[in-house]
Amino acid sequence: MSANEHLEERREASTASLALVVGILIGTAFAFLAATAPFTHLMGHSRAAVASAFHGLSAFLYLIVGTIGLYLAWRLWTGRIRAFADLQLLATVSATLSFIAILFGNWLYIYYRATDPESPRSWFMANMPMIHKIFFEFKEFVALFTLPLTVAAAFILWYYGAHVLDRKWMRYTVAVLLALSFFYLVVAFGLGAAVTKLRPA
Amino acid sequence: MNTKLITQDREVEVARTPPATRHRESGPAVAAIISAMLGMLTLALVNLGTQASKAFNTWVHGIGKLWMPGAEGIGPYSGKETLSALVWIGSWIVLHVALRNRDLNLGRWLIVFLIGIGIATTLLWPPVFEYLAGH
Repeated sequence: MSANEHLEERREASTASLALVVGILIGTAFAFLAATAPFTHLMGHSRAAVASAFHGLSAFLYLIVGTIGLYLAWRLWTGRIRAFADLQLLATVSATLSFIAILFGNWLYIYYRATDPESPRSWFMANMPMIHKIFFEFKEFVALFTLPLTVAAAFILWYYGAHVLDRKWMRYTVAVLLALSFFYLVVAFGLGAAVTKLRPA
Repeated sequence: MNTKLITQDREVEVARTPPATRHRESGPAVAAIISAMLGMLTLALVNLGTQASKAFNTWVHGIGKLWMPGAEGIGPYSGKETLSALVWIGSWIVLHVALRNRDLNLGRWLIVFLIGIGIATTLLWPPVFEYLAGH
């Protein structure tokens, strides 16, 4: 038996490390903003520029965090996770990013479904009705699933702490929650990107 | 706490901090997943209702307009989100209080959760809800 098999990181994440991760995320966003100034070039020129930029940015960040979370979820499922504290942080950040993406998605939706003939929905209904009726409608609903799934995962990880590692079904439950949230994220992200590509708001 | 681990080749020290929290019953975990499932099912059923009935659709939009900024532009979706969130958070509080001292079979409830989320996803697939709504 090698020594490495005994290397488990069971320490729980501290509030300071959580604040640090959130700080780094926000700092990264501002650094990106500053590096691509002027501001209007980053946002674009459409009336929905701010809403769509932040919706896309938060969804993209969530996709990155969710991908790492999916890997850690798999490690948790198999019982061979070494970065439990990281998983706690990732689940929390995922839930936060899901909430932010939904918030800006709501704002963007106002421009998407505006009644004027130039709005994306009006355009799709006139030219490609199935895009709105099937893909967009499905996307707008399943995107919401990511929030309760990630919040439930984060709650279990923080409430039970490292005890999660000792309880098989607790591990399976968190792994399933994170895997499902990633599935719904990818569906919503893919359909959202496709719709935006076809007709930006 | 550091534990000395002696292997065939060498002696290493492994950081192994014992869990800081006491043993907790599985009830709160069940409450967390079942309430999430109820929120998702609510979204699916409310959406189905809005597709089937114009009066219900107007009522759901009215719920969103009660508090959500921009709900007029967002449309009935604002009410669907609101009702889904209310059921999710409300049922979570109730179930958490009711189950916090109970040790339940988490595996069984995880299966219930998966069936529920499967039903919610199916009901939200537009061809399915349009068929059920009689369109």
